[in-house]
Amino acid sequence: MKKLMYLVLGTSLLFSCKKEGCIDPIALNYNPDVHINNGSCDYFTTTPYDIITPYGFPDMIIPEDNPMTIEGVQLGKKLFNDPILSANNTLACINCHMPESSFSDPNQFSTGIDGFLGNRNSSALINLGWSSSFNWDGSSTTLEEQAFEPITNSLEMHNSWNNVENTLNQDEEYLLLFKQAYNIDYIDSTHVVMAIAQFERTLISNNSKFDKYSRGEEVFTTSELNGFAIFNSEKGDCFHCHGTSLLTDNLFHNNGLDSEPFLDFGLGNVTKNTSDNGKFKTPTLRNIEVSAPYMHDGRFATLEKVIEHYDSGGHFSSTVDPLMKKLGVGLNLTNQEKSDLIAFLKTLTDYDYITSE
Amino acid sequence: MKKILFITSLILITFSACEKPNQTDLTLNFTQTIDGAELTTNSMIYTNSAGEDYDVQTLKYLISDINLHSDDGYTLLLDEVHFIDISDASTFSFTIEDVPNNNYTSISYTMGLDTIKNTNNLYINESYHSAMAWPETNGGGYHYMKLEGAYNNDSTFYNTHTGGTMGDDYSFNNVEDISLTVDDDLGNVSINLNMEINNWYNSPNQIEFSSYGMGIMMNMMMQMNIQMNGITDVFSVDVIK
Repeated sequence: MKKLMYLVLGTSLLFSCKKEGCIDPIALNYNPDVHINNGSCDYFTTTPYDIITPYGFPDMIIPEDNPMTIEGVQLGKKLFNDPILSANNTLACINCHMPESSFSDPNQFSTGIDGFLGNRNSSALINLGWSSSFNWDGSSTTLEEQAFEPITNSLEMHNSWNNVENTLNQDEEYLLLFKQAYNIDYIDSTHVVMAIAQFERTLISNNSKFDKYSRGEEVFTTSELNGFAIFNSEKGDCFHCHGTSLLTDNLFHNNGLDSEPFLDFGLGNVTKNTSDNGKFKTPTLRNIEVSAPYMHDGRFATLEKVIEHYDSGGHFSSTVDPLMKKLGVGLNLTNQEKSDLIAFLKTLTDYDYITSE
Repeated sequence: MKKILFITSLILITFSACEKPNQTDLTLNFTQTIDGAELTTNSMIYTNSAGEDYDVQTLKYLISDINLHSDDGYTLLLDEVHFIDISDASTFSFTIEDVPNNNYTSISYTMGLDTIKNTNNLYINESYHSAMAWPETNGGGYHYMKLEGAYNNDSTFYNTHTGGTMGDDYSFNNVEDISLTVDDDLGNVSINLNMEINNWYNSPNQIEFSSYGMGIMMNMMMQMNIQMNGITDVFSVDVIK
């Protein structure tokens, strides 16, 4: 017994002669060669980014495996603005999602790196954290999943993820930023889209005149009030799809733009269900004044043309939404009512949002 | 050896005493029929009492305050608000596990939301918030029901949207007698709450799509007429043991 005690004592003495340092394997400065913990362990930490739920908004949907952090958001913003994601280093996300156009493209179709045009109008990026379907046809169900697509789309950034990863991993600054945001030593596609998604969740518009009116901080003019009443009545019947504080139902509808055959099946292309053909995602009407042109294919250059479409009632097809109940009859709004409606739509412009850095 | 036997039997007795009695799980199913037959959507095969052909393309509704009542005065809340959307099978039923033994003699439920529940943004984080929201300028709260489709051989659409209008409450509470004795031997049971869609338009008020298909949200007379039809014979309850 005594012998054993000596042995233990001797062994610990032997170890105490070793170097001191951090012995915790999960610490950033873990040193496998040291055996004495001297309290120097430095752990990976991030700073939480708080999303404050705006008045009248539901709670934001944030994936558990990609919590909002200041490090992640800043990295996502840098990636969003950086042409490094495109194959020839010429096109960044922001080039087709411009802040002054409410993060959309004033052109009907955006031009990719090879000079080709897409076939849908660039979506305005607003309050995306409250949606669970993305793109006009709902082809993505998370922002992370959505961000994978434009980078490799041959009509857009035409890159390969292999190349993106190689390029980013040769960049000292990105290596450091990814380390700080996600504690990774090798930058992979998963973390690139996670950071971009974090930044996109911070694109929150809630300070338009409409919001100030809702919060009781500002009043509407008579014309804006009349427009709001038409919007919210069965007369204009805008609210069934563009209702709540988000100004969208986040669902898919065929709003009677075309008769069959459809040029673009929209949701039907994704679900492969013919009853979804011709259905597209309801866009929010926030900042609609600055996010022209309109509809999935950008066919209408002005709000007046959009109102004309609904006023005429739209075209019949097998999937047109029953909410387009004045098909062939039309809303028959007077010119005054149309201009009141547009006056209301312009209260949805959030100048803080479109001028934010 | 005797000792071991004694201990073993003691353990066995203890375990069998702890064994739970057979529990009763109750599933509430929300079904929809037209003229007694299960609803088929997007089929121009139905005729209302005004003689108009029609189909059903959209049906979303809220049933609230669903309670079972027993003859000794006990009330079991099954759900506060349940949203049904015929395009989403996951909304067609819910199950309450381990229903307490009792002699349940009635079920009560509200079509739509009563005044206390029908408040703007009250259910803001629920899945149905955006689909059912009723504009604040028209009284706020939520649609009770959105029933939409085409009539007149597919050429024209109708929208029957019910809800509280300018603060008026058009929800209604039904109490239906049932015979459901839950005891240790019952096993699982289900209750079907059926909506007979045609009856929204039949009696006592005959409603034509040609006159009211364009929308009735701000038409208080029509909200009242539909409410009366609803109370009369739209809903029925079946207990299936």
